[in-house]
Amino acid sequence: MLFNSFHFLFFFIIVTSLYFLLSFSKRWILLLAASCYFYMAFVPIYILILGFTIVVDYFAGIFIENSQGKRRKFFLVCSLIANIGILCVFKYYNFINTNFSFLLHGFGLSNPIPYLSIFLPIGLSFHTFQAMSYTIEVYRGNQKTERHFGIYALYVMFYPQLVAGPIERPQNLLHQFKKKHLFDSDRVFEGLKIMIWGLFKKLVVADRLGIVVNMAYGNIDHQNGLTLLLATVFFSFQIYCDFSGYSDIAIGAARVMGFNLMTNFRRPIFAKTTGEFWKRWHISLSTWFKDYLYFPMGGSKVSVPRWYFNLMIVFLISGLWHGSNWTYIIWGGINGFYLVFAIVTKKYRDKFNAITGIIKFPRLFLFSEIAITFILITFSRIFFRSKSVEDAVTVIKKIGTFRGSISNIGINALAYSFFAIGFLLLVEFKREFYTGKFTLSNHQNFWVRNVYFSFLIILIITVGVFDGGQFIYFQF
Amino acid sequence: MKKDLANKTYKIFLLKLAAFFIVISLLDFGIGYVLKKHYFKQQAGYDYQATYAIDTTKADILIMGSSRAANLFNPDIFERSFSLSCFNTGRYGYPIFYHYALLKAVVKRHKPKIVILSFDAGNFSINQEAYDRLSSLLPYYSSHPEIRPVVDLKGPYEKLKMVSSIYPYNSLLLPIISGNTNYSKKKYATIKGYIPLKENITLPLMKFDYSIEKKLDTVKINIYKAFIKECIDSKIKLFIVCPPYMVDPVGVDHSINEAKKIAAEYATNFFDYSRDAFYANKPELFADYRHLNENGVGLFSKNVIEKINSAGQIPYPIIKEIPKTEK
Repeated sequence: MLFNSFHFLFFFIIVTSLYFLLSFSKRWILLLAASCYFYMAFVPIYILILGFTIVVDYFAGIFIENSQGKRRKFFLVCSLIANIGILCVFKYYNFINTNFSFLLHGFGLSNPIPYLSIFLPIGLSFHTFQAMSYTIEVYRGNQKTERHFGIYALYVMFYPQLVAGPIERPQNLLHQFKKKHLFDSDRVFEGLKIMIWGLFKKLVVADRLGIVVNMAYGNIDHQNGLTLLLATVFFSFQIYCDFSGYSDIAIGAARVMGFNLMTNFRRPIFAKTTGEFWKRWHISLSTWFKDYLYFPMGGSKVSVPRWYFNLMIVFLISGLWHGSNWTYIIWGGINGFYLVFAIVTKKYRDKFNAITGIIKFPRLFLFSEIAITFILITFSRIFFRSKSVEDAVTVIKKIGTFRGSISNIGINALAYSFFAIGFLLLVEFKREFYTGKFTLSNHQNFWVRNVYFSFLIILIITVGVFDGGQFIYFQF
Repeated sequence: MKKDLANKTYKIFLLKLAAFFIVISLLDFGIGYVLKKHYFKQQAGYDYQATYAIDTTKADILIMGSSRAANLFNPDIFERSFSLSCFNTGRYGYPIFYHYALLKAVVKRHKPKIVILSFDAGNFSINQEAYDRLSSLLPYYSSHPEIRPVVDLKGPYEKLKMVSSIYPYNSLLLPIISGNTNYSKKKYATIKGYIPLKENITLPLMKFDYSIEKKLDTVKINIYKAFIKECIDSKIKLFIVCPPYMVDPVGVDHSINEAKKIAAEYATNFFDYSRDAFYANKPELFADYRHLNENGVGLFSKNVIEKINSAGQIPYPIIKEIPKTEK
């Protein structure tokens, strides 16, 4: 069930209405049943995998809390192996096998291990990571074990964030299921407003740009450098609006019912450095890696080479988290390299900025920082979007020629795309640099707010893409 | 006291929601009205062609199909040969659903004597885009109930979405603006729907494996059958033509095979040029691998006309007077 479908609209209205009509004690049953229905609307059988994870981690939590010393660690490791094992089987088995075959082929041998013909369960990486954060936090003593099986299952399955995050932490979400959320008109409207903006990002920006991006990246050999360059820039906006649009709808849907999910994006378009970018992009995943991988490896409180190593490892694994393809690993590697490079060169860059005097022009300096960060991130996304490393190299080579024309894209597609990007930038720019000023979405006057959001909906119906399909991050 | 407060909160919420819907409805109605008015005022472009075909054409011969219909069938040649008026409704990338809906709408108002359906390799393959493209028929959804069952193939909620006055014109704002300007008249200049291609292909003959797509879309097959049945029931002579490709074919195209089989079941002519080496080896006749250029069209049209004549099934006398010319 896609957030941008009528199916979801009916589902949302029914579930939310019932939620407020039901007594508090029965609400978790409704939400759990609704979440099961939501997940089974994709591929029903895969709920069994989710069920397995839930059962394993539920009991692991109890066993960890009831144990001492090495036994605690043992149960944590069991839980982690079960979760990562599922990920490996469903997401990485064929990838590992392909690479193993390639390796054996180099020695003139054939691979006897068969391939699995299975589909990746939707959102597997998301709910697996959310489930792991629970057992880890219980192990660390930051979270009390949840003894109510239904509430724990709901923590993993809560439908707004089940298939594409935000990847929640038990400290933030679990207790909210036990809180009595009263109907609050302002909060409901607040949630609906977030949802409308998310829908706008998805239908008007992401899916619109997706038409050009798919056209270019679907047929790389027949595209010229300029078309691919434009498609790559468009992809940067597309993936942002696709994913953050999903997060907005998830956060908004949860807010309507009284739940506060964590912020997942903070206008990453305006990041001044690649380091800052990762503090603004997919925050729930970045902080997951920081809390459960980067810090346990020592973070930055180790020798300098080890620090660089830690950064690279985190980003390589983050790449692998996104997908079982070398393109994602390279994408992660490039982003890790950016961070290491930024640390290594910071002194020289500061000197360079002082010598050139650019820092005396703060606005120009800010713009150049944002532009450079955008270019670097966009470049790495060539690997993210390409089907293979060979394709990515072809795209880079073609873009490098700066030749061709964008006339093959079509004037309508270009006009809609630039309008969508322009509108997005205008809103995001205002929110970033003029917080609280010229506000329409939070204007004091009800009618101003009303007309603004009506206008957004009218824009969605007029220029939104209604046949755009799935969210990009569902595949992860 | 608590209950009163809760009731008041619900009341305020419902009032605000109602106000929100009133503003949206007013905007939707107003903008939808303007879009509708200007959609049907277009003077050129694909949408104009569709409106013309659905609401106006009285052509004796209708050519239907995708870009290979639009680029490969010159109505002038057919008019001269048969002394019948002809209009080409071909539209780039449009599937059998669209042609069937168009046929249904035309037949309700006027029965052409001949329909030529251009069929392409892979026409029955499974792809969502074919369904998405039914959006272009949404502006006619309210006024032409006969096309509704076809448009509803897009999804289960089309009827509901049509509550919005803007929705039928979704993504059509720019085409509507352009269709109402002289720019569009120049850019989309057609000869009764035919768009000639003047360029010559510069690439060599391509090996192409037709057999890649094995799975066929049964909905498309059923609509294809319905198309043939509609012609038979309306006593329209139907000729299905698969124009040539500039490819060295490998394997068989399952869509063409299936289409041929069905045509045979309904005793309908199917002229298959998809593997015709005569054309494939003459790059000077092609604009690209899929489309003949103007020179190729001349030759190909002659071929098709000969075949239609030799089929000897034109059930009416050849009228020698010049037919009333279509736009």
